[in-house]
Amino acid sequence: MKHKLLPLSETMHYILLALREPLHGYAVMQKIEKISNGTVILAAGTLYGAIENLNKHGWIESVGNSGRRKIYMITVEGSAILKMEQERLLHILSLYGRDESNEDV
Amino acid sequence: MKMFNMFFDIKKEEQWLNEQLQKGYRCTNISGLGIYTFEKTDNRYVMRLDYQDYLPKKKFKEYKAIYDDFGWVHIVGYRLGGKQYWQKEEDNQNEIFSDRQSKGNYYKRLMGYSFWLGMLCLFFSYSIYKDSGLYLTEGLWSMKGSLFWKALLFETPFVLLRSLPVLMVVFFGSSFYRAYRKYSMLKEK
Repeated sequence: MKHKLLPLSETMHYILLALREPLHGYAVMQKIEKISNGTVILAAGTLYGAIENLNKHGWIESVGNSGRRKIYMITVEGSAILKMEQERLLHILSLYGRDESNEDV
Repeated sequence: MKMFNMFFDIKKEEQWLNEQLQKGYRCTNISGLGIYTFEKTDNRYVMRLDYQDYLPKKKFKEYKAIYDDFGWVHIVGYRLGGKQYWQKEEDNQNEIFSDRQSKGNYYKRLMGYSFWLGMLCLFFSYSIYKDSGLYLTEGLWSMKGSLFWKALLFETPFVLLRSLPVLMVVFFGSSFYRAYRKYSMLKEK
């Protein structure tokens, strides 16, 4: 059966992408706001729950502390998930370019 | 200003709290017995109620630290599990959940909360009523005339008190159902 977090939700996807560099929770939110051009702004509870979830599945891990904040980074397993999602999305994107009317059904 | 209120439904409690805040108050304390303390303020505040099961010490610290970074102030809430009351000054980010998945998980936690409290009340009810009926006076139903009515009137308030656990089962049952409805709506689409 498919993993219950797959395909990745927008939130999870952005968090994994952001954590290719080590960051603490709030910095993850700020980075996502920036890289999504302000379209994805995570709320506190959503971010906390998502980090918990990704950590539980071993896709991210804690790599240290900055004061009372925990710093996280993507794991090898998490990177493999991103690779899989990239291929899935590339395939979907390739379908956009195809002209449907020329195809035999 | 102190106010007393009692809620069996987290969403209703949240709504009531925010109505008070809209009147220009800020919540400063909530006691377990249902006493809410407010303070007059010129700023507008919002309150959001989260629910968390038992969290280990470190997890609870991390939970609070993340909310704190977002500007939320923890009013009350225990790490052994239960409602977590968060308050912040109103701005353009007043929610604690920003996507469907996390909102769904929230309602799922609320379902668990109502379910277990309901079960607890059901258990209490059972242990209260298993050996006797609701009315305890011996021979009440064979009494005649005014004596019967006096005895009945006298005992009815106690009966109402004794049926409180059953009423609470109904309250928790209905808040379970409301959480379930919201949860399944979020899950479907």
